[in-house]
Amino acid sequence: MLDVRNVCVEFDRFRAVDGVTLSVPPTAIVGIAGTNGAGKTTLFGAIAGQLPLARGEILFEGHDISRLPPNRRARWGLARTFQVPREFGSLTVLDNLRAAAPNDTHESLRAAWFGRPGAARADAELERRADDVLALTGLSKMRDQLASSLSGGQKKLLELARALMGSPKCILLDEPFAGVNPVLVARLLDVLRAVHARGIALVVIEHNLQALKAFAQRLVVMDQGRVIADGEPGAVLDDRRVQEAYMGGVV
Amino acid sequence: MTLVGVANLAVNGLVEGAVIALPALALTLVMSIARFPNAATGDLMTLGAYVAVGVQALLVGSAFGTPLLGMTLATVAAVIVCAVVSVAAYELIFRRLGRAAMVASLLASIGLAFLIRSLITLVIGHEQHTFALPLVRAWNFGGLRILPSDLVIGAVALVVLAAVFAWLRFGRSGRLLRAVADNPDLARLSGIRAQRLMWLLWALAGVLSAIGGVLLGVKSVVMPELGWELLLPAFAAMILGGIGSPAGAVIGALLMGVGQELSVPLVGPTYKIAVAFGVLFVVLLLRPAGLFGRPELAR
Amino acid sequence: MDAYLIAVGSVVLIYALLAIGLNLQYGETGLINFGHVAFFALGAYASALLALRGWPLPASFAVAAAVAAVAAVPLGLAALRLRQDYLAIVTLGFSETVRLVLQEERAITSGVQGLPGIPKLFGAIGGKGTDLAILLALLAAVALAAWATHLLKASPFGRLLRAIRDNEAAVTALGKDPARYKIQVFMFGAALAGIAGAFYAHFLTFISPEQFVPLVTFYVWMSIILGGVGSLRGALAGTLLLVAFLEGSRFIRDLVPGVAEVQMASVRLAIVGLALILFVLYRPQGLFGRRAS
Repeated sequence: MLDVRNVCVEFDRFRAVDGVTLSVPPTAIVGIAGTNGAGKTTLFGAIAGQLPLARGEILFEGHDISRLPPNRRARWGLARTFQVPREFGSLTVLDNLRAAAPNDTHESLRAAWFGRPGAARADAELERRADDVLALTGLSKMRDQLASSLSGGQKKLLELARALMGSPKCILLDEPFAGVNPVLVARLLDVLRAVHARGIALVVIEHNLQALKAFAQRLVVMDQGRVIADGEPGAVLDDRRVQEAYMGGVV
Repeated sequence: MTLVGVANLAVNGLVEGAVIALPALALTLVMSIARFPNAATGDLMTLGAYVAVGVQALLVGSAFGTPLLGMTLATVAAVIVCAVVSVAAYELIFRRLGRAAMVASLLASIGLAFLIRSLITLVIGHEQHTFALPLVRAWNFGGLRILPSDLVIGAVALVVLAAVFAWLRFGRSGRLLRAVADNPDLARLSGIRAQRLMWLLWALAGVLSAIGGVLLGVKSVVMPELGWELLLPAFAAMILGGIGSPAGAVIGALLMGVGQELSVPLVGPTYKIAVAFGVLFVVLLLRPAGLFGRPELAR
Repeated sequence: MDAYLIAVGSVVLIYALLAIGLNLQYGETGLINFGHVAFFALGAYASALLALRGWPLPASFAVAAAVAAVAAVPLGLAALRLRQDYLAIVTLGFSETVRLVLQEERAITSGVQGLPGIPKLFGAIGGKGTDLAILLALLAAVALAAWATHLLKASPFGRLLRAIRDNEAAVTALGKDPARYKIQVFMFGAALAGIAGAFYAHFLTFISPEQFVPLVTFYVWMSIILGGVGSLRGALAGTLLLVAFLEGSRFIRDLVPGVAEVQMASVRLAIVGLALILFVLYRPQGLFGRRAS
């Protein structure tokens, strides 16, 4: 479904991502691990469209999205969350989700000033969907709070919830477990499994290898911009190259 | 337009560009370290010009009143005043706004610009002043006319720029300043060192503005809008050269100066500001990083 | 005294139109527009020039709004690709360029001499009736603008504007293009300024480029900062305070003899500068703002 082919990303003359090829089938859970600076987030930036490709191409469901801006890629069903949550601080949690949902006909000046046919029904439907996603991510109680008042972990859940509003087919999650205390990690894993159960493919960057091992069906390890291993998590973590990349640490 | 005509415009443009380079450099240094465009730079130039013209007027007729000595002392006075005002502005305003959004500092710098300008006009008035310098006749090289005063202006500007660049390259504090400008995260230095560095930065900005103002005042007349009118070309120069590149700012300024002059046969002398704006607009749309800037800082 | 209050009231309402537009652009969407006076000027000149050629005022007003809105398009496009501080500089440059053009293209605009004898709005009524009619028309215009703005803010469109202001990159990542929203907001705010300009021209009956200097833009900025950025009521309250200050400074001149108008202008400039600095430092949420902006 998501095909990354020989993608290179350069900053000035430095190759942050060097010839990465990777394939994500529908409904898969793929983990991406690697040391700091390995190029993981940069790769996400290239896939999601925030960063331009120096070489290579990206296909989503057969369509070449390599030159599309981020918002068009999202419309194809490819969503992305960020390492540092980017919540809409002055909006409530519910409004964050409502703003995230595709809503072209109603998000217009004409609709604002002259009313829109079926507005009440569409609004109710939107709220219902938002509540559903809030329940899925466990944020229902925070529904009417300002997003800026959420804790770090809750903001991460909000990121995920917002991404879900677009009915994506694949979500790129950038370090969803970072800074989340161990108690919440289990909860977050449950949420991710529930999301996956809806048929959504997940590509997850994580440092927390234990969490990835329990959760991912496949593990890709990057080092210095290249993929050095790609396969079943247990096997990959036993791979000597991977262990060397992590400088002899036990993984 | 004859070749000689073009050459004349180009020469004038280079001199103007050299003068624009001083505030442009001040802008780019403050921009890369303090992360906001300091709109008070222009009026700081005006302040420098007024201080210098005032001091020179005081000295005329005295032993210190010779053109060279008088101008030198006047410039020194201007430099001191502007450096102090600049550092004071940092201490009282911009340091306290440190954590606030960029808009806050930008608005405050606009406020500061207004404040400086209004205080000048309240104390001194709206009339124009000129420096008491001997009249000079232009040298004529077969049609190519060069004013000796322009040559001096250009030379002074270049010397000052060279000194600053040497300091940034070889001076200990200068290298540190350069490092912080190149790598914003280094700005998290703690303690007295960071403070001293910021004072140096703002003092330097004041110095550059002062000298720029004096040179501009020598070239034309000293009036309340002197610096503000140069703000847009200086911004354009900074952006053309690329944020974070001091050399770029200077080259951008020279290009702006020449470009503005060369546009005169096409659009007339009064549209120079419009040319600056046009360049600014086009550069930002096509290549926000400018000629030598880094794309990551641009958007 | 009546006539004076009516006149001041009209000035308040003209500035209110400017403030409502700017507040929507910055307070709601995060667009730093330092060139607002340009749209004010374009509206004033468009309507004045047409009226001087015999056009009926409703038509010239409409054209004023349209001209201002169209002029906002290149800036709106620029706003899409520029960081906030660059946009600020570009909009400032734009307004100075507009002023320069108005000053230089003498054949069209009479340049520095300005345009005298602009038909007064509701001039046919005559006397105090005209002034009252202008005031009422302005009241209606401001009420309409405020209502339209309120509807906008409360709508899904408004919600998205605030989302763009809070985190534009996230909006893009969610599949929406901030571009169309920003341009529309820019155009609407500009149109309001254009209408304000038309009112101004047909109220004062004389306009010249010097009336459209950047200081006017920052008067409006001061209004929205005073009142609390993002708040519609705040914008209106801030405008009242601004005009009170501007008028008050005129009274001081009457009380203290020997102060030239030119000096008073400097005092006003100083106070505006000081106010910008102090509010930004000590009360960023404005006098009536709820939360810190």
